[in-house]
Amino acid sequence: MSSSGKDEPSFLDKLQQRGDGRNVNPALGTLLGEGAQQRVTDLDGANPAHTVSSSIPSRSGVASADSPSYHGLPAIKQPVWIATIPTYLFVGGVAGAASLMGLVIDVLGEKELNPLARRCRQLGTVGDMLSAGLLIADLGRPERFLNMLRVFRPTSPMSIGSWVLALSGGLNTVGLVLGRSHGVLGAVGKVSGCSAALLGMPLAGYTAVLLNNTAVPLWQATRRTLPLFFMASATASAGSLLSLLPHTPREAGVLRPYRLAGKVAELAMGYAMEHDARRAPEVARPLDEGVSGTLWKASRACSVAGLLVDALPGRRRWKQVAADLLTTVGAVTARFAVFHGGKASARDPQATFRPQRRGHGAAEVVPGHAVASDGKPFSFPLPVVR
Amino acid sequence: MSRKGFFTDSTTCIGCKACEVACKQWNQLPDDGFHFTGMSYDQTGDLGCSTWRHVAFVERPVPLPGHATGVGDFSWLMVSDVCKHCQRAGCLEACPTGAIVRTEFDTVYVQPDVCNGCGYCVTACPFGVIDRRPDDGRAWKCTLCYDRLGDGMTPACAKACPTESIAYGDLDVLHERAENRVRELHDQGIISAYLYGKDAANQPGTGGLNAFFLLVDKPEVYNLPPDPVVPTMKAKEAWSAVALGALGMAAVAVGAVLFGRRGSP
Repeated sequence: MSSSGKDEPSFLDKLQQRGDGRNVNPALGTLLGEGAQQRVTDLDGANPAHTVSSSIPSRSGVASADSPSYHGLPAIKQPVWIATIPTYLFVGGVAGAASLMGLVIDVLGEKELNPLARRCRQLGTVGDMLSAGLLIADLGRPERFLNMLRVFRPTSPMSIGSWVLALSGGLNTVGLVLGRSHGVLGAVGKVSGCSAALLGMPLAGYTAVLLNNTAVPLWQATRRTLPLFFMASATASAGSLLSLLPHTPREAGVLRPYRLAGKVAELAMGYAMEHDARRAPEVARPLDEGVSGTLWKASRACSVAGLLVDALPGRRRWKQVAADLLTTVGAVTARFAVFHGGKASARDPQATFRPQRRGHGAAEVVPGHAVASDGKPFSFPLPVVR
Repeated sequence: MSRKGFFTDSTTCIGCKACEVACKQWNQLPDDGFHFTGMSYDQTGDLGCSTWRHVAFVERPVPLPGHATGVGDFSWLMVSDVCKHCQRAGCLEACPTGAIVRTEFDTVYVQPDVCNGCGYCVTACPFGVIDRRPDDGRAWKCTLCYDRLGDGMTPACAKACPTESIAYGDLDVLHERAENRVRELHDQGIISAYLYGKDAANQPGTGGLNAFFLLVDKPEVYNLPPDPVVPTMKAKEAWSAVALGALGMAAVAVGAVLFGRRGSP
């Protein structure tokens, strides 16, 4: 082959020019291997390991004999999700909380409040539709989005969530369209609206379980408090958005306590979540450092300011608008902080290794499990007296 | 069909990467670019969408007991990493489309024609094995050569391994073989040898691994977690928190409607 000189490309050169990196000539052999279906456009871009290994050494300092790591490489894969997911975490929460509020007003409120209930329903429906779009945009194969409803898998929060969102969106739409009809159609509309509103509660909360049910250290460690934080934040945001829309003085009387209770709960649950993460210093690190740390601090500041401005005396409109905008920005930023914090903690091998050594791995949920996989006992922070 | 799996013995691995090559070639996986990582002889980095076998190289400043080297205190640790095909697989339990299934050989397999690339399995794997290829949009991982097993053949990596560091077979046979090997090593003075993830007793978080390992140092040294847990085992607490939160949401809404002040601006 070398005798052909520089003008003629060699057989191997020709194969390389095909550019899918397989070096298989389809004229000579068929592409039937399990991985042959992989669509390849960018050889170098597909495997981020090389950039990770050269640019992100272990963030937890030098690996010591006590807590080694493999060349500082991440122990687990970083989530591949894009910015539509944290956006959805916010939008889905607002949709769920607003739908629920619509139902409660319908059942308990007087006639005067009906327009507010309808606005809640509309906000819920629009949120559901937007959520579906945001989720589909993140899929690697968006054209296969219907596969989400191919099975029901109770062990997968994403499967549960897909069904909840699909049902909630569908029923909310039916409820909105048929809500004002009479007779059988009206009854169908009312039942649909009620069901959608009840589904709003799991819709606002499951998004946290979606994150908790992963191997990502920050998300897994906050499983007791993150759902509460997301649901409180959903209530605060829904209240703020409804208050930003034009409303009557009577409606304001309902919205004010709703919004304020949500904001107080959001702040409290945010601190509880942070406290939960701080059980392991390596896990909480992304809440203090880097992009996620900045986002988290900004979100806390916005939420505090949103509550304070809202609670100040005075009834001027601009004050109300400022308070609600601050709360909304705080809630959106919090979702992005938790999202990017998870990515950062997945990149840090010590966030995976060290807490597991201290018994925060399987030992937390398996009674009587006292040694790691290499037979060494877990090191609890305090000496264990037996 | 009997339960099949891999037993990977790190003490007999010579770091030839024949398993990596055989895997790429049989499965017709694309390359990952040609880069030097600066991490010993490991130019692969980690397992991923188009890397289903990965040989880890550790240059350790501590000798193995009973081994003499010409360069003083030093030992090579090498092991061929692979998808563990866990008894309780995080990816399988997380997959919302049913694309990830357990086969008749008790292995975990991703159906490429069903996967819609939601990326949830990527976050759910406690070992960081499965990955989504950005340009392909689907999740990929070791199939334990599902296409070869059906024809009664040995997986490509095990077939290519020149030192039988990678052994393939029925899990019962592999367990016995592995225990004998550990005993043999202990007799030779390598007392740090142990089996990683052999069964649920050793690793309750995963229920045991169908592809288990013989290691001579802490799992972290090989980039393996010391006490991995399938995330689903911890999800109950999160769902309880959702139930509590739902009560709270409803209470706030009811309270606001019932006690919201009349006539306030």
